[in-house]
Amino acid sequence: MKDFDLEKLERKNIYKIPENLFENIQGKVLGGFNDFDLEKLERKNIYRIPGNLFENIQENVLNNVLPAKKVPIFKLNWAYAAAASLALIFGVTFVLNNDDSKGKENSQETFAMNNQESKTESEIAYETLKSDLTSVENNNQTIENQNNKTSYVQDNSNGGEKMKSQTVKLVPKHNEAQMNEYLESFTNSEISELASNSTQDVYLDLYN
Amino acid sequence: MKIKDAEIISLMQDPRTQEKGVRALMDAYQSRLYWHIRRIIVDGAIAQDALQETFIKAYQNFHQFKNDSQLYTWLYRIATNEALQQVNKMKKMQKSDEDPEYYMQNLVADNTEGNAEEIQILLQKAIQSLPEKQKLVFMMRYYDDLPYEEISKIVDMSVGTLKTNYHYAKQKIEEYIKENYER
Repeated sequence: MKDFDLEKLERKNIYKIPENLFENIQGKVLGGFNDFDLEKLERKNIYRIPGNLFENIQENVLNNVLPAKKVPIFKLNWAYAAAASLALIFGVTFVLNNDDSKGKENSQETFAMNNQESKTESEIAYETLKSDLTSVENNNQTIENQNNKTSYVQDNSNGGEKMKSQTVKLVPKHNEAQMNEYLESFTNSEISELASNSTQDVYLDLYN
Repeated sequence: MKIKDAEIISLMQDPRTQEKGVRALMDAYQSRLYWHIRRIIVDGAIAQDALQETFIKAYQNFHQFKNDSQLYTWLYRIATNEALQQVNKMKKMQKSDEDPEYYMQNLVADNTEGNAEEIQILLQKAIQSLPEKQKLVFMMRYYDDLPYEEISKIVDMSVGTLKTNYHYAKQKIEEYIKENYER
């Protein structure tokens, strides 16, 4: 092959190719578009939507339209309104009357209790005076002077020595007479013994 | 159980049952109206607002509804007007140097599901490339299968004009898809 010339060689494709290769390629490229029919395409909604979309829309719409509408829906029936008003008036009157009678009963009870209480206070005052007869010695310590004054009474009811403040009220006259009788029952020696404590009472009185 | 239009209308007309009527109205039409609005507006949040406004207007103006037309025709008319108003607002708010058609097509790409087919995305972009009237006619006919007579009442156009518009819209969409579809 000394005379071989590449230029003179025949240009040939020696590879095997399938039959109708190019027809098939053209068919594949163009076939889709030739067959494309918009009417045959599936109708799809391809946009994203948030969860609970329609629930939210319904809620927003109802919130917007219903409050304004609720007022006209209510129809005022004058007969019912008048009947309701009368019932209310009678009801309130009845309740108030009941309260008044109860109030009276209560006030009576309170009064009785107060009476009891005042009696107790009188007794307390009497007991106080009885236990502290030095007040008799002091001419200035009249019953009138003790009106509404605060005194300190030793409270031994709970066993402990606790000073409590209380208002000494006016001692009734029958108590005064009772006290005088009680004082008369004392002997002279007893009275003089009791009088020795008068200094302390005067001292206490200064601070009352 | 699907409630009939006549029942919804009856409930809506009585003040005592109006609340029930609104609920029934929304249950019956919310999905159809939402997707109609969404295909026009594309943006999800704005579409939601538009649907809410549609129902509120329907409720407030129900006394204007005449029984001589279909309830859904009346609702579609309100929804379409509301959607077009929103689209106009969106276009006014967009950048002045941006092409409105290009803006809407980008919106399509941003709002589609991740697994959406390319041909479906192209179809939505093609719809956004249409003039407004062709777009409305095509969507109501293609997706909602509304009769031309009802579409005519919704968009105030003659049936003949609607048919022509639909024909051109379909042709443009097919061309758009052939040009842009990548195999």
